[in-house]
Amino acid sequence: MRQIWAIGLNTFREAIRNRVFASLIMFAMALMLMTLAISSASLHEEERLLKDVGLFLTSTFSVLIAVFVGVNLVYKEIDRKTIFTLIPKPIFRFQFLIGKALGLSLTMLVQVLVMAVVLRLQFLVVDARFGLEMVQALFLVYIEVLVIVGVALLFSSFSTPFLSGMLTLGVFAVGRFVDRLVDLRLKTGGGDRTPELDQVSALMRGVAHILPDLSLYNTTTYVVYDKVIEWSYVAQATGYGLTYMAVCLAVASFFFSRRDFV
Amino acid sequence: MSTPALSVTDLVKTFDLGFLGSLPGFGGLAARLQIKGIAQRVQAVRGVSFEVQRGEIFGFLGPNGAGKTTTIKMLMGLLRPTSGSGTLLGHPLGHREARQRLGFLPEHPYFYDYLKPMEFLDFYGQLFAMTAKERRQRAAALIERLGLSHAVGRPLRKFSKGMVQRIGIAQALINDPELVVLDEPMSGLDPIGRKDIRDLIFELKQQGKTIFFSTHILQDVEMICDRVAIIINGQMRALGPLTELLQSPTQQVDVVVGRLPEEAARRLEGLAQGTVRLGDAIQFRLGDGADVDTFVGDALGAGGRLVSVVPHRRSLEDLFVAEAKRGAAP
Repeated sequence: MRQIWAIGLNTFREAIRNRVFASLIMFAMALMLMTLAISSASLHEEERLLKDVGLFLTSTFSVLIAVFVGVNLVYKEIDRKTIFTLIPKPIFRFQFLIGKALGLSLTMLVQVLVMAVVLRLQFLVVDARFGLEMVQALFLVYIEVLVIVGVALLFSSFSTPFLSGMLTLGVFAVGRFVDRLVDLRLKTGGGDRTPELDQVSALMRGVAHILPDLSLYNTTTYVVYDKVIEWSYVAQATGYGLTYMAVCLAVASFFFSRRDFV
Repeated sequence: MSTPALSVTDLVKTFDLGFLGSLPGFGGLAARLQIKGIAQRVQAVRGVSFEVQRGEIFGFLGPNGAGKTTTIKMLMGLLRPTSGSGTLLGHPLGHREARQRLGFLPEHPYFYDYLKPMEFLDFYGQLFAMTAKERRQRAAALIERLGLSHAVGRPLRKFSKGMVQRIGIAQALINDPELVVLDEPMSGLDPIGRKDIRDLIFELKQQGKTIFFSTHILQDVEMICDRVAIIINGQMRALGPLTELLQSPTQQVDVVVGRLPEEAARRLEGLAQGTVRLGDAIQFRLGDGADVDTFVGDALGAGGRLVSVVPHRRSLEDLFVAEAKRGAAP
């Protein structure tokens, strides 16, 4: 455990001291502040717009940064050959991977917290209510980011950063609509079902069962209408997200343990 | 007799290249397909076997691309051998217990450039589950020993190549290892830096540690190694103590004689493999089996003056070049 923590802390330190990461956070914060300008232009809908756009930007930017950092995390260690001094140390390869995931998770926690603070300040400016549902929504955004961290590390355990990035973004995009895919029944323009369309529908439904259901983490509707999210829902979504991340890391460890470092 | 610090038997590494071969777990399929572009195979190490005894300095020699680094990477668990086996400190390759007592410096090391020396060594110390106090003491001692005290406040990205090499050696020694594996430790160092590393290697040997290092700088090997192995084209070409390997079957002797009368000079030239006129002296090169005593006696008897007698032993460079040529021959 101590080794995992050491690798995690080192990863976190590297990310925090990385100027690209700092620039991305600054950019995200600047965009968040623009939300304030947009919401002030809306007619009596400032609060609703601020919540809606604020959560969207927090979620989207956090996921994009997680993808960007996540797909490069292992690759950089291999490309810069720093991994050559780590693997011969008395650690298992899965410990290295989990340490990396831990470091990135800590980094993303800081990122989400920074954006949450910016959001909170904006709420103060327009005198809007920052209720429990906002905290719950931001927490679920973080859990969604952890799922993406797992997916990014899974793809990067056997693929290039570019391909891993594309695949992870694809999973993110489709994952947001998985709840609709699981009930998919394609029909022709005339409203008929054909065997071919049924096969495609079945395939899509199969894919939907493998991909993460990221729609669980989109709680904007609750927040906009000031409805507190049930704790059982938060717990279920958290459990699902952490399990999905753990499965991704287990599969990534399987690939990683068989990898040659040339 | 104690178990060797390191041993490998028939170690083979074949790389499956191409798209399919690059996918983890598909190497076997790639090997069976053998279709150019989809799967290609390159055999980098072809049945290498050797042992390194405890407490010795072992030099692993070979030209660029000979398979030195590939062999070392298999020993360090960075590459999976295609076939063959090995042990490190009595444990199978990759065993955690062996890695706990192992230090490794890779070739052209590159480290986390945002870390300062103490942070850097502390991180590696944590991987060995050392206590905070142990890590602090050991890191401070190594920084002092490797002459990096002036740079403790500097992040590694501001280190020169020689300093990176030194901090790399420090991380290899952080756990006070029994076996130290150094891949091209003198690479990129100036003469003073190379001498420092040689002194350090001697110091480690005096502490009872085993040192295995690869290099292509023959002078360093001749100066410090107890035994060497020469690998060329992935195959072992020579292995043994330097004194044995350098025993030449074609020993030559250069005899320089001055003031030799012309008639005697011509007669003696007939007995030599070659001659070189050096002002009023002549250098005779006598081949293997020549009776040097009789030759010198004749020269002195003819009125000559003996200037020097220099036996030419086979150098490591001669051996290395000969083996490299043999390895390159079809």
